Amino acid sequence: MEKPNQPAGSLPPVAAEADSSEVAVPRNWRGITRPLTTLVIILIGWEVIGRYVLTNPLFFAPLSEVAEAAVQLWSTGELQKHIWVSFSELMQGTFAAIVFGIAAGVGIGISQRVRDYTEIYITALYATPLVAVTPLLILWLGIGVFSKAAVVFLTAVFPILINTAAGIRSTDPLLIEVARSFCGTRSQIITKVMLPAAVPFMLTGIRLGIGRGIVGVVVGELFGARAGLGYLIFTSGQTFEVPALFVGILALAAMGVGLTFAAQLVERYALRWRRSTEMDGS
Amino acid sequence: MTELKTGVRPATVSVEHLEMVFTARGRRQKALEDINLTIAPGEFFVIVGPSGCGKTTLLRILQGLAHPTGGRALIGDREVTGPGIDRGFVFQQDALYPWRNVTRNVAFGLELQGITKADAAKRTQEMIELVGLTGFETYYPHELSGGMRQRVNLARALAIAPAILLMDEPFAALDALTRESMQRELLRIAAAAGTTIVFITHQIDEAILLGDRVAVFSPRPGRVREIISIDLPRPRPESVKQSPEFQAYVGHISALIG
Ligand SMILES: Nc1ncnc2c1ncn2[C@@H]1O[C@H](COP(=O)(O)OP(=O)(O)O)[C@@H](O)[C@H]1O
Ligand SMILES: [Mg+2]
Repeated sequence: MEKPNQPAGSLPPVAAEADSSEVAVPRNWRGITRPLTTLVIILIGWEVIGRYVLTNPLFFAPLSEVAEAAVQLWSTGELQKHIWVSFSELMQGTFAAIVFGIAAGVGIGISQRVRDYTEIYITALYATPLVAVTPLLILWLGIGVFSKAAVVFLTAVFPILINTAAGIRSTDPLLIEVARSFCGTRSQIITKVMLPAAVPFMLTGIRLGIGRGIVGVVVGELFGARAGLGYLIFTSGQTFEVPALFVGILALAAMGVGLTFAAQLVERYALRWRRSTEMDGS
Repeated sequence: MTELKTGVRPATVSVEHLEMVFTARGRRQKALEDINLTIAPGEFFVIVGPSGCGKTTLLRILQGLAHPTGGRALIGDREVTGPGIDRGFVFQQDALYPWRNVTRNVAFGLELQGITKADAAKRTQEMIELVGLTGFETYYPHELSGGMRQRVNLARALAIAPAILLMDEPFAALDALTRESMQRELLRIAAAAGTTIVFITHQIDEAILLGDRVAVFSPRPGRVREIISIDLPRPRPESVKQSPEFQAYVGHISALIG
């Protein structure tokens, strides 16, 4: 991806040497400077549009006012509270989904019988948008953290479970046979061969689960809550406080980005035994 | 060089009227028919035969990974009913655990036996030295060449100190130079430990270079066509391949395989 930024008529630089001698910025800095440039352009665009194009304060707000609202919400401690509530709902639900999803996924992956009893229902539940049961969960569990954690659990558990089961089942039969030839017991084959073989699948499931879980948190808080970023967005919308509404959205975006980044770090560490396919970025 | 001590007393490997019939897609297919073999303790026994004649199947039966439809396989006077740590298996394909580094792959068999970490570490390091992989302990399989991976395969099988080593075309995928050095190392290791080796290959010169005896199998269904004693003095250098005796064996076996 190294062609559009040459002046017309000039030859492409000869691979890496020409590249790094001509530009003082080292290669890995570009991974930061380039997306940062995009961000700056978007933020300036936002400010300009908010000031001169969408000037009705009921519909939009320039970035500076959003920033002001953020500072204000932060100074009263309100923003931190909303972030913390949403974050803990997400973490509790995701943690439960990981524990249950992996355990059930292993059970389903290793046992044909369990599969016969459950598989089509799990597939059906995976395909159902389970956020739809949120009102019911709020009726059952109240408007506190618990009901939202339950929504997160329900939305996040199926991708984790299904991916774990798929990973267990796709274990290379040769690797199982090696363990058998060394007199491995069934439980050793599960823990030392199938589980590690399924780790990449589990991580994919967890990443998908977290993505769905964030949606679950927001939807849950829209339906009924006392705090949380979804609650902040909902109440700000009802009172036409557009800057505060944007603060909520931006905080959610930041949470999503942060968790994705953390997931990538975990993945990179857990899968360090894999042939690295895309290590450099230019 | 490290001395290899085998944990289990060497024993005769024998096969009596062995037969294997597979049913695949509704069709019965005989892979092995009336195989009879007696392999002496410490013997280097080679099996050659065309692809699909049941060599892998026979080895899997000896390891206890497959059960024959007729006849039986014995280690000493005990019938083979399942895998045992008296036997080590070197698989034909690249059968390393990609998420384990060299050390942890070599230690795999010991780990399954519940051998303590400290004991396993010492033994594992010895095996890594034995196959010449010192310095690569922390490498993952994808960071190794085919020859190095096959060394790890071998070290893993040797780590449990098997009395019998079953090897399924272990060097087939290697280039000629690497194969030669692996052959030499295997002979050295086997001689030092007194290990019985059942070695499968489809390369006639490899069979003659390594074997005390060579069994030639017929095409499907696999049967023992002839067992040939290789009366060439050991050690057998590469140059032995040019000798008229060696060439006579090659001619004889080639004619049998046809
Ligand atoms: N699990 C199996 N199910 C059905 N057929 C098999 C199975 N394993 C091997 N065979 C058949 O048995 C024959 C011998 O196979 P194999 O032992 O792998 O031969 P070789 O190792 O000599 O090339 C082949 O025709 C193969 O298709
Ligand atoms: Mg084979």
